[in-house]
Amino acid sequence: MRVPLGWLREYVDVQLSPEQLAERLTLLGMEVKGLEHWGADWRSVVVGELLTVEKHPHADRLHLTTVNVGSGEPLHIVCGANNIAPGQRVPVALPGAVLPGERRIERTEKMGIASEGMLCSGDELHITSDAEGILILPPATPLGRDLSELYGDVVLDVDVKPNRGDALCLIGLAREVAAATGAKVRWPEITVQEAGGPVSDRLSVEVREPQLCTRFVGRWVSGVKIGPSPDWVQMRLQAAGMRPVSNVVDASNYVMLELGKPTHTFNGAAVKEGTIIVRLALPGERLETLDHVQRELTADTLVIADPSGPIGIAGVMGGADSEITDATTEIAIESAVFDPVSIRRTGHRYALRSEASLRFEKGQEFRLARIGADRVAQLTLAWAGGSVAKGRVDTAPEEPASAKLAFRPARVGKLLGAPISTDEQRSLLRRVDVDTEPAPAGTRIQVAVEPQPLVVDPGSEETLVAVVPTWRRDLVVEADVAEEVARVRGYETTPAHLPDTLMPAYRPSPLRVRQLIRDTLVGAGLTEVVTHALVSPLHEARLRWPADDDGVAFPEPAVGDPIAVTNPLSTQHSVLRRQLVGSLLDVLALNERQGRADVAIFEIGNGYGRADAAPREWTRLSFLLTGSAEPASWNRIASPYDLDDAKGLLELLCRSLALPAPGYAPDTRGFPFHPGRAFSVREQSPDEILAGRVAELHPDVVQEWDLRSQRVIVAELAILGLGRGRLPRIHVAPIPRFPGAERDLAVIVAESRTAAEVQTTIADHGGVLLRRIRLFDLYRGNPLASTEKSLAYRLEFGAQDRTLTEAEVDGALEAIRKGLAADLGAHIRS
Amino acid sequence: MDFESLSGDLHRLMDLALAEIAKADDPAALEQLQIQYLGKKGGLTAVLRGIGGLPPEDRPRVGAVANEIGEAVKIALAERGAQLRSAAQAQRLVAEKVDVTLPGRTVRRGTLHPIPETIAAIAEIFGQFGFVVYEGPEVEDDLTNFQMLNIAPDHPARDLWDTLYVDIPGRLLRTHTSPGQIRVMQSTRPPIRALLPGRCFRYEAVDASHGFEFFQVEGLMVDEGTSMADLKGLLDEFAHALFGPRKTRFRPGYYPFTEPSVAFDVECVVCGGVGCPACSKTGWMTILGAGMVHPVVLQYGGIDPERYQGFAFGMGVERIANLRHAVPDLRYYLENDLRFLEQFR
Ligand SMILES: [Zn+2]
Repeated sequence: MRVPLGWLREYVDVQLSPEQLAERLTLLGMEVKGLEHWGADWRSVVVGELLTVEKHPHADRLHLTTVNVGSGEPLHIVCGANNIAPGQRVPVALPGAVLPGERRIERTEKMGIASEGMLCSGDELHITSDAEGILILPPATPLGRDLSELYGDVVLDVDVKPNRGDALCLIGLAREVAAATGAKVRWPEITVQEAGGPVSDRLSVEVREPQLCTRFVGRWVSGVKIGPSPDWVQMRLQAAGMRPVSNVVDASNYVMLELGKPTHTFNGAAVKEGTIIVRLALPGERLETLDHVQRELTADTLVIADPSGPIGIAGVMGGADSEITDATTEIAIESAVFDPVSIRRTGHRYALRSEASLRFEKGQEFRLARIGADRVAQLTLAWAGGSVAKGRVDTAPEEPASAKLAFRPARVGKLLGAPISTDEQRSLLRRVDVDTEPAPAGTRIQVAVEPQPLVVDPGSEETLVAVVPTWRRDLVVEADVAEEVARVRGYETTPAHLPDTLMPAYRPSPLRVRQLIRDTLVGAGLTEVVTHALVSPLHEARLRWPADDDGVAFPEPAVGDPIAVTNPLSTQHSVLRRQLVGSLLDVLALNERQGRADVAIFEIGNGYGRADAAPREWTRLSFLLTGSAEPASWNRIASPYDLDDAKGLLELLCRSLALPAPGYAPDTRGFPFHPGRAFSVREQSPDEILAGRVAELHPDVVQEWDLRSQRVIVAELAILGLGRGRLPRIHVAPIPRFPGAERDLAVIVAESRTAAEVQTTIADHGGVLLRRIRLFDLYRGNPLASTEKSLAYRLEFGAQDRTLTEAEVDGALEAIRKGLAADLGAHIRS
Repeated sequence: MDFESLSGDLHRLMDLALAEIAKADDPAALEQLQIQYLGKKGGLTAVLRGIGGLPPEDRPRVGAVANEIGEAVKIALAERGAQLRSAAQAQRLVAEKVDVTLPGRTVRRGTLHPIPETIAAIAEIFGQFGFVVYEGPEVEDDLTNFQMLNIAPDHPARDLWDTLYVDIPGRLLRTHTSPGQIRVMQSTRPPIRALLPGRCFRYEAVDASHGFEFFQVEGLMVDEGTSMADLKGLLDEFAHALFGPRKTRFRPGYYPFTEPSVAFDVECVVCGGVGCPACSKTGWMTILGAGMVHPVVLQYGGIDPERYQGFAFGMGVERIANLRHAVPDLRYYLENDLRFLEQFR
């Protein structure tokens, strides 16, 4: 809320500088987001007195004036306005002046006559909305003075929190200033001279929805003359960020800013039979609102109606037909209390949220309905004349007494961690107009209201009753009193110490395993990315990634349909991703546009899906490799990433995580994979901690993503520990005491056999003496047949309790040879 | 043949050998000289063949002279050999000289993303004070994201969280990590010290300081007598750990799920408190919101608000990362331009 300091001072004395005041309010919970110097953009605009006003010899619509600006020779200024006369005091922009919007005023010539500056309208200065005439200043305005000194002000931008609707006005903020400084709040004198007949002759009100409109106060003013409101009113409204409209509408807005009471003024002549009915809209009813939009009203919309139909949406916006116009003479004033929830829903439904509805949504002080109606009538009379009808129409004249809230001063101290004496608490509360009384016997404490009210018996603990001012609808439970005590006392008085209570039980951190993986992959040259979880639906369509239940047993499988956002900001981000791979492709595309060809990235993040109308989330590690694994440099040639690099990373990960080496199984489905370069991976521990898919992408995918890279290798991996934070334990085997024996074995096998098959067969037939198998050569060509290949392994044999004899090793080797021949049709090259 | 002439032959042989050894300039020549003088068919052996013509009493004297001379030649050979080897090594070392100022062979290393890194830094600090990490679902229900946090449907405070809804009735994308408070309280008993990092979503147009996806870290501590003073002490430690010795302050704030609520400010890291555009001339930067857990929230968590009290705090990870790394634009984080990420090495 914008608070002009000059206006605020009308309700409370402020001795502090604007900066000091801003800090005090901030520390009290009314955060001042900014200080604006209103009028700081009038430079070299001074008060002048018109000496002469004559017709321009060459232009009917222009005047030649001479203006005394207090010093030096009178200035000759050409002016186009018609409301000027000698003797008036007016704002004069001197040559070199700057007006709002960086408008520069220079010496000019108008129709052959020099003009040494400009006379300003209220609109040109952004003081009033009058663009037609020159702003006429009061006769006593001191000559020659800078206008910004006279009319400039400081405007505080206060962020009033949603629970403090009572402070969305000058009186409310004056109360906060008073709480901070000890000054007294001055209410405006509100008296209404009622010269007209009884209001009941003019207006009757029927509330058919007393739940939604708990009070309706009406007043009537006859014989008004619509026109602009006084300049000082317009200036205040402008400074507070509200556009002046006309004297009657301004009176209503002025009261909203002053008291926080939204009211509405109708053209009384347009209210049929002087009868207002507050009811729900009927099916098919329509209303043209003040913004000249025809609106179809839904049946749960609370409307202000007359016998012929709706004339306004209650608390949100009035109707165009009953709008105040220049010809209006009869004014009906509505000052009501509406159900906050109903107003909020209505505002959302019609996408119409006004300053008024924002205040209604936060709840209204009941008595303000009466006070607001009186104040609008008073100001209307003062600014637009006419006569106010006697009395008010009031559907609920009985005003509730202040609420009482019991609290235990010791509890307040316990919550804040600082014992505060009861006397001090009482005097702190007094500063926010909360009186305290001794609690009568049997008083109980409201600790919570919802979900089930919790009311406790204070027993022998000292208890007080706080008398809550009617405007403080936010003080409901004991903890609310603690906050008032704390904020008025100031948090600088709260002690600070480290907790010394019991520690919680140990819990493994899910971040730990991730940290290990992240460090490992970064060390291996990959850069971590964090991408949007919300992606384009095109990801699904372009990628068609296989579901996890398709052929591989995944821990925490990714299954189910994608989850869509029903109110997305854009289709680019409208679906929750199921895989991370698409996001990595987006990152690749972005970096390719920056000229990057070598990209190695990974992300640990969630995938999302729905199964049986329940959302599911799973955590994945995904990586993408393209371009050079090692960029070329003076001492090395570039080597492009290939599938073996991906496998190297998988093996490295398994070593980092203390998992057995992973096993690979070909995936020949084709799209989205390269049919000959894709596999599923599974680490071979009994817990099945890691599983996933790794592939070079099918060229069609690369093309759909509009990528320049030819070969893109991606992996999407489920790692059980990602969500759990626990790793398998390492069980140490004794260091061999007897040396092992090494043998090389070249296995010639058909092309169609995989390395995994050969290695498994060797392991199966190697017996207990086989310690290690390592592939060291892959050979194709002479003298092998074109359908064959040779895989050369180095095998290590050994035993814990002895050095093996030649015969033992040869025996084991022979068993392997036979096994390879029998199982795979392989033979050994010697 | 007498002793004198034989001895003279031996000494001449020695002089000749020593002269040749001194002139030898490679190991092969030395080897040749060794054979030539000391070998089975060498000069020394040849001279000694004449020993048979000497009187028996002279023979041992000649033997002694021959040994002496043989030793002298051996020593000369060894010394010259060592000289040659060291010269050869010195030459090789000169030849092996490289330009040590050339850059090294790159060992490729990636970089860690600042968001998880900042989360890890925050978790490390609070971990020292016994806070354990939990994670909650990102697709939440309205009940846990709002209602159990004392934000009823149609509560005006809902304006603080513009929400993205999903096509599963009653579900939404969590607007903050605060629902994790409820989940932790429902799954464990006090004493609770929990940290909840994670991704959040809001219906918010993207610009330099807003995004529809962002990360938060929530903290929760509940026990008998956990107070605002504990919160203040802990947050002071946190701020000092992250930003060094700087002034901090509490000021009143507002959240429906805490009462009292505070905002926690740290002396501006840009200007040090004198006021600058980065801190809107206030000298302070707000780094998180906090407060004492509202009794309603404790009740929804299944905790008796008469017996227990606690505090909660929540911070934006990007905000903390911005302050640590002076990142000018929030969009950098999820855009993943490598020119940004690679600066975090
Ligand atoms: Zn600063």
